[in-house]
Amino acid sequence: MSAPTRDRVDDTPPSGTIRAPRRLALEPRQEVSRGVLVAVPVLAVLLALIVSALFLRLTGHDPVTVYRVMVRASFASRFGIADTLVSATPLILTGLAALVSFRVRLWNIGAEGQLYLGAVAAAGMALLLGDRLATPVNVVLMIVAGALGGMAWIAIPALARAWLRTNEIITTLLLNSVALLFINWLIFGSRSIWRDPDSGQFPQGQRIPAAAEFPRFGTTRVHLGLLVAVLAAVVVWLVLTRTRFGFRMRVLGDSEDAARYAGVPVRGMVLAVLLLSGALAGIAGAAEVGGLSRRLDPSSLAIGLGYAGIIVAALARLNPGGVVLVAVLLGGVRNAGTALQSLPDRVPMEVAVMLEGAILLFALGSEVLVRYRIQWPWSRPADDPAQGAGAAEGTDAAEGAADPAPGVDAADAAESAGGAAG
Amino acid sequence: MRSRTRWIALLAVAGLVASACGETDPAEPEGTDVATEEATDEVTEDAATDEATDEATDEATDEPEATGTWAGEGGGEDGVLQVAFVYVGPVGDAGWTYAHDLGRLAMEEALGDQVETTYIESVEEGAPSERIFEDLAREGYELIFGTSFGYMDPMATVAPDFPEVVFEHCSGYTTGDNLGTYFGAMEEPRYLTGMAAAAASESGRIGYVAAFPIPEVIRGINAFALGVQEMDPDATVEVVWTSTWYDPAVEKEAAESLLDQGADVVAQHQDTPSPGQAAEERGASWVGYNSDMSEFAPDAWLTAPVWDWGPHYIETVEAVLDGTWTPREVYGTMAEGMVGLAPFGPNVDDDTQALIDERRQEIEDGSFAPFTGPLNDQDGELRVEEGVEMTLPELLSIDWFVEGVVGSAG
Repeated sequence: MSAPTRDRVDDTPPSGTIRAPRRLALEPRQEVSRGVLVAVPVLAVLLALIVSALFLRLTGHDPVTVYRVMVRASFASRFGIADTLVSATPLILTGLAALVSFRVRLWNIGAEGQLYLGAVAAAGMALLLGDRLATPVNVVLMIVAGALGGMAWIAIPALARAWLRTNEIITTLLLNSVALLFINWLIFGSRSIWRDPDSGQFPQGQRIPAAAEFPRFGTTRVHLGLLVAVLAAVVVWLVLTRTRFGFRMRVLGDSEDAARYAGVPVRGMVLAVLLLSGALAGIAGAAEVGGLSRRLDPSSLAIGLGYAGIIVAALARLNPGGVVLVAVLLGGVRNAGTALQSLPDRVPMEVAVMLEGAILLFALGSEVLVRYRIQWPWSRPADDPAQGAGAAEGTDAAEGAADPAPGVDAADAAESAGGAAG
Repeated sequence: MRSRTRWIALLAVAGLVASACGETDPAEPEGTDVATEEATDEVTEDAATDEATDEATDEATDEPEATGTWAGEGGGEDGVLQVAFVYVGPVGDAGWTYAHDLGRLAMEEALGDQVETTYIESVEEGAPSERIFEDLAREGYELIFGTSFGYMDPMATVAPDFPEVVFEHCSGYTTGDNLGTYFGAMEEPRYLTGMAAAAASESGRIGYVAAFPIPEVIRGINAFALGVQEMDPDATVEVVWTSTWYDPAVEKEAAESLLDQGADVVAQHQDTPSPGQAAEERGASWVGYNSDMSEFAPDAWLTAPVWDWGPHYIETVEAVLDGTWTPREVYGTMAEGMVGLAPFGPNVDDDTQALIDERRQEIEDGSFAPFTGPLNDQDGELRVEEGVEMTLPELLSIDWFVEGVVGSAG
């Protein structure tokens, strides 16, 4: 294993150097220190705040007041923190769903649809079980059902990717629309168990039995799903760093050819990773049903949680712990939008959305600084350590010990996802 | 010392709220409720102020408006009623939310400095909206209007925790001690707009862009179709569902698909004028909804069934100010003015206008009801006998289309 303080950045040889003498240029970094890995996203958020502040100033709002209100509304009061955690819960899980697939350069953009199907399965399980079993049993069965629902939905693109090499970006994305139509049909078009038979005036989901409701903490809306989500982050981290499966994921993420030479069953891995990704998104759906809406409710579910998970994973540089932190940050930013409207000069709701977008944009833009170092015109060209790195590369790929430049992958994925979702 | 008091207060609140809202127990005796109500009320206010002070000190600011979770103005000023509106879409300049905001402004205008109002727009329906209502109540807003169906459960969940706050929900059916509902007989003006549409149509094919297959929308389509058939018994009304209340692009596409299929008039149960813009581009005619949208497609514009929420908001606020408010289920009619007809466009000729005015009179004086038998459903089966008028409960749960409507009612 290589030293943990250093991460290799790219598996391509440094031949693509963008450099001309005596000019501003970018030079690929051979190694990226942990300091850079942490500093870049933090700087990205700061830059996003500064640019948004300029925009706020231009539109006649006081940025300091706006930011203070956002912090107060989402992070500085008990109620605000509780609601931030509620919003963060599904984002952690969809963030992890994006993370596991992006790590091996599979682009599951369908967490949105897998979340819906997880919600369908979990609500169905709860309604079938009724009040017969104790809450803990119900909760476990609902989470399992949610995971299976998400896996079932991703199974089609996953099988197609593993055997037919179909582009999973397109298949997973398109299935999101199908999933939305499906849950709308369950509530508005069908006479299924999911629909409340007494909701004549406006069809809505059948409420799940009390025994299936995820426990909440105190008087807040924070529910068991938060613990499940954090636990999932820990499990994902353990799988990635401590298991043979995680090792194979790293090899596969580095290079499919290398993985094949190393005897990794590529098809099986592709399938397993995508199923794991779908399961995590499905659990997010189960938690939303069990902890928050307590019925299959399309309008509560279809708020872009799956797409936001891509942003979370990208900002977290595909780090499970980072996913938890970023999900809380983003959950707070999203919640703060409504509080801004109560300011005397009415900052529009869209400011929060804009801030979310600005953070993503700067995070993606700053990836360049992780991959490349700036070659200032007045500085001397750095010594070319190509030989050393080239020699190290073979061993790295074979061992799969190096991190496969998570942030770089995330950036690519989020770009394609952003384009597709927009 | 102060912080200890605060913690005790907070613990007390937590305990009280827990006991007040723990399990929904219908058997809970009335007396306990009242006692808890007063106690919670006092302690909550104290705790809120303490918290605000705490935060203010933390940040060393001297901003007077910093009174809690939000920066809002809620709470406490003597004699001034704090009123909040929760909107499902942006206010914009046309449509459902715009009509509610006109009502809010009319109420503010009428009651002057007796009220202070705010609104929160683009609030998602369902569980995510619960925290919005809770925050507003906690901030000290004393009367909170929720103007979309999907706020019903969240409001019903939050209302019992804030017994001193009055909640008014638009278009739902759940009421409570401090939760009333209000809505209006939109089917009355819809019938009249159907008459205008039939007069403008040459093909006898009229398109209808509709949000969800629910009784409210089905009722409107049926009333519209009956109005169409009064003018042209062979005309059809073709329905396309969008599964959204507010989505300009989807609404426009749906209208275009209807126009492609041969419709020459488009009507809508949607919140934006984009179906009208589609009609304008194709030289077709258009019946809008919610508010006067004529400026968006002046040539296509015929008329629209519109809401006038102002009088209801004024009446409700006055009742709360007087202390005479009780939870009601309001269903406003054309005669009462909650629903009405927007001004006619130039393409509605004088004869048609005269016919429509005549019907309007009859609806307002009660001598004509659109849903009077004989009424057949799409399959030609007799649903309402000759001379029988459908009752309000029947209308509120209608789930079938009348003859002449093309499309599936769910």
